[in-house]
Amino acid sequence: MDKILINKHIIESNDFVNSADNLKGSGKYLLGIAAADERSLNSKFGIRYFFGGNNSIDEYSVKVDESFQSISRVCPAAKMYEREIYDLFGLTPDGHPDLRPLMLYPENWNSSLHPLRKDYNNSIPEMKRYGEYKFKKVLGEGIFEVLVGPVHAGIIEPGHFRFSLAGEPVLQLEIRHFWKHRGIEKVCEGKDFKEALDLVAKISGDNNVNITISYLEAVESILNLEVTERAKYIRVILAELERIWNYVRDVAWIFMDIGFALPAQSLFALQEELMRLNKSLTGHRFLFNVLTVGGVNFNLDSSKLKAIDNMINKVEKNIKECEAFIVNSSTVLDRLEFTGKINKKTADELSLCGISARASGLPRDSRIEYPYLIYDKFNLKPVLLESGDVFARTALRIKEIYVSKKIIGDLLFNLPKGDIAVAYENRPEAYKYAAGNSETPRGNAFFYVMADNDGTIFRLKYIDPSFRIWPSIQYGVLGNIIADFPLINKSLNLSYSGNDM
Amino acid sequence: MGFLSKLLFKNKTQSIVSGNSDSVLIKGDELKRSVDEVFGRSLFVRLVDSGSCNACENELAALSNPYYDLERFGIKFVASPKHADVIMVTGCITRNMLNPLLKTYENIPAPKFVITAGDCPETGGPFKDSYSVCGPVSKYLTVAMNIKGCPPEPEAIISGFLKFMDMLKTS
Ligand code: SF4
Repeated sequence: MDKILINKHIIESNDFVNSADNLKGSGKYLLGIAAADERSLNSKFGIRYFFGGNNSIDEYSVKVDESFQSISRVCPAAKMYEREIYDLFGLTPDGHPDLRPLMLYPENWNSSLHPLRKDYNNSIPEMKRYGEYKFKKVLGEGIFEVLVGPVHAGIIEPGHFRFSLAGEPVLQLEIRHFWKHRGIEKVCEGKDFKEALDLVAKISGDNNVNITISYLEAVESILNLEVTERAKYIRVILAELERIWNYVRDVAWIFMDIGFALPAQSLFALQEELMRLNKSLTGHRFLFNVLTVGGVNFNLDSSKLKAIDNMINKVEKNIKECEAFIVNSSTVLDRLEFTGKINKKTADELSLCGISARASGLPRDSRIEYPYLIYDKFNLKPVLLESGDVFARTALRIKEIYVSKKIIGDLLFNLPKGDIAVAYENRPEAYKYAAGNSETPRGNAFFYVMADNDGTIFRLKYIDPSFRIWPSIQYGVLGNIIADFPLINKSLNLSYSGNDM
Repeated sequence: MGFLSKLLFKNKTQSIVSGNSDSVLIKGDELKRSVDEVFGRSLFVRLVDSGSCNACENELAALSNPYYDLERFGIKFVASPKHADVIMVTGCITRNMLNPLLKTYENIPAPKFVITAGDCPETGGPFKDSYSVCGPVSKYLTVAMNIKGCPPEPEAIISGFLKFMDMLKTS
């Protein structure tokens, strides 16, 4: 299978607004925007817009100086990317409706410093307040605010949620994220492709296998490296195992949040068994460090294959019982149906991906749209539901566990012989770049990697599915009671660390 | 409803989970005795994620699954710092999380102890060279103990608590 093909287009003028509008009309959606400081190459900054849809990816690139035209008004999904570019590169998106800082907090960062510029001299500003962050305010009689986080009441990652309410229903939710901004993209610069693997895996630890696959798609494409069939099979088995344990955990949390501890705990126990299986297969419960440039780091022998087979059969049996329980229980349905509805139009406007898109009727699944590794072999069809509520997202996870089980089952006893990794000495061509993508349990993971002239990373841009999906919660909660927020949040179960990076 | 009733009639944690390792129970019993002795029944922990990759939180959450069920050993993760004896820190301390971390710490009544989980809070982990990371924790707070690992497995965290109790008993 070839690496994903990207149709490249060069935008001559600075004005991409009309074209972006037309693209959206033709069934395309924004996959992401990546900026890079290429002044050492051509004295300009490069901005690349990636649009997916209709089974192909289009790249539109434009060279800019200190500002560029914002496309947020015609393409709301662009908003966050443009704010990010404004923060990290200091390029101004002209006409952007909201240029508040995103990851570089005015509470501790001097806004004249843009760490992703190549001439940023690593100066770390003194820890003091440089400005204020202004939240949106809903005004009117009887309106009050509820502030939650960043530190939450439980074992959860940090994020700040600000609700405006009149009585019980939510009038507005504003999310402030990036508390966990670790500057991973910058740390990757100057590292060679293998060294960066450790950082890539730790963008979002619970999805590390799928995210790393996307990264490897990009760098192996830069290196013209073809991994063996056996390595591809093993990568897919691991990717689907990760999907299964993620989904089992996600469904367990739904039960937990509606006060049904018994099925929740039985699913948590199942998750634990899946993680112990991971450990027995590879030595690590999260499968850290099992993938490498050119292949995988461990082999599957017949006893391991048997163990996987037993486990996926057990998962299927337990999940079937759990599914029957959900659809037959009016108290469960009562909490899940019509809660946290994200309608199809909103999902499309925000360029959602993964479960969140498929639960709202959008057939977006990177394994099918832009097949990688050996996913074209399975003849997968997107699993779709229309209602866009907590129920749809829960039911979809259950249905997709069966799909993953089937994929693994098909591969287990047909593993091709051969090496698990190929040695390589290829050095990347200077400034060659490539994109990679994969479908994580949360949706499309997209990498854009450019090599430097010494073979290290010049620029690495990663777009986490959570980055695309977080804003949609602000729509999903509208009109719902605040007590349902945790449930709605869990039904999307997004990554804070992947979003904040 | 077969699903539910099947679960209901297995009334012991041990019979719901298969192949539970005895080492968890042995460590757990010892832990419970120590917690009883030093803290008088229970130890309350407030977690702050200061910038992790989220695997550490997944392992801490796993401590509540039926295989470990940490609360039966007298250790509870609590919502309010005001109730806590221990602040457990995960993650590399981002600039953005430094203030929330310190504020949470301030709100824990004395005597209080800092325990870190994972390599990140101790060394900064893979993120240590970043412009937006200002760890390790020991720069700001006196750390009673580091539980190492990337991430530390649930059983290692239980062992960590046990070691912490021993430390308190001998000091
Ligand atoms: S210690 Fe390892 S697992 Fe834990 S947050 Fe850091 S990188 Fe992730």
